Amino acid sequence: MLRPDGIRALLERVTDEPIIANLGSATFDLYHAQQRDANFYTWGAMGMVSSIGLGVALAAPEKKVYVIDGDGSLLMNLGSLSTIARQNPKNLVHIVMDNQQWAETGGQPTHTSTGTDLAEIARGSGIARVVRVSSLEDFEDALDSAIREEGPWCIVADIEEQGHGARPPVSVEENLLRLRRTFTG
Amino acid sequence: MARLVSRWHNAAAMHWTDAIVESLKSHDVWLIPYVPDAIGWQVLSKLEQDPAFHTVPVAREEEAIAVAAGAYAAGKRAAVFVQSSGFGNTINSLAQLAVSHKIPVPVFVGMRGGLGEFNPVQIPSAHPIPGFLDAMNIQHFAPINETDVTSYVDGALELSFASRMPVAVLLYSQLVGAKRATS
Ligand SMILES: Cc1ncc(C[n+]2csc(CCOP(=O)(O)OP(=O)(O)O)c2C)c(N)n1
Ligand SMILES: [Mg+2]
Repeated sequence: MLRPDGIRALLERVTDEPIIANLGSATFDLYHAQQRDANFYTWGAMGMVSSIGLGVALAAPEKKVYVIDGDGSLLMNLGSLSTIARQNPKNLVHIVMDNQQWAETGGQPTHTSTGTDLAEIARGSGIARVVRVSSLEDFEDALDSAIREEGPWCIVADIEEQGHGARPPVSVEENLLRLRRTFTG
Repeated sequence: MARLVSRWHNAAAMHWTDAIVESLKSHDVWLIPYVPDAIGWQVLSKLEQDPAFHTVPVAREEEAIAVAAGAYAAGKRAAVFVQSSGFGNTINSLAQLAVSHKIPVPVFVGMRGGLGEFNPVQIPSAHPIPGFLDAMNIQHFAPINETDVTSYVDGALELSFASRMPVAVLLYSQLVGAKRATS
């Protein structure tokens, strides 16, 4: 499975639900797949997308909230899984694109390349619904379940890294305000 | 000559903890991500019992800023409580989310390492905080007298939400009392 295909599969299934994208590849691929006001493209705060997503999910319980995380980034904020489990937001769908590397900094292998299993960590943290997938088909099935059924969900997708699109011209302040306006009108 | 009248005059002083609770309420702050400490807990224990607030204990301080940022992105207001010893853990999200995106996150910091401190390791993590905040262009205020708490906290919250910037309220032992080694 490739990250852009997974992102397209998600975009086919949403209307105005927020998608919080991890710095680098996820942000770039999301932008190139479809620009929408409810996309939040992060450029830093590595590790924090699931925490941002938790804040959005708690503040807007009526909407599904999607997070596209990276393995290296989640490894930097594993406590977030426990925080999410404790809050238990039914509407949060945390997707981890696990390419077993810090792609953005040159493809150095992360700890998932040497046996760390993020799905097991999510389970052990107490996340209600955890699945690990490696094909696009299984990823789509997992998304459909996450849309139908209450979470919180953590979908760990084993992906092959094939690079990402060019750096998009986004103003971070403008992006934040646009996302906010999807809630406040 | 025109006379300036302070909007922030506080005649009868409430207990500092109640003053913070009331200020948060009057500014529609709802979400409270925190890592507990003995100082902040004096307020947090009240916020946890109050249906006007939703408290979110987090595992590490940088999460707290990010959760608050997420709530703001969804149209709600949050304020964060951390201890000075963990303030350094906020920097990743304070810089790369709150300051860079102009997200108003009021941060209450239980300040150790000052008057009456018994624990020497608290000192070097607390002492640089005001200088660090200055370097990041984050305004900070430290009410020392109980009669000032309402005016300082009301003012800090208004400033944060109006400027869409993080603002810090530093809670020193002069206000909150020093923690005893035995307690
Ligand atoms: C706090 C912090 N540390 C380090 C970096 C440098 N950095 C930027 S992207 C990245 C790798 C991210 O890895 P992952 O989350 O797996 O995403 P991928 O690039 O593989 O899609 C690193 C280490 C950073 N931006 N911020
Ligand atoms: Mg990676």
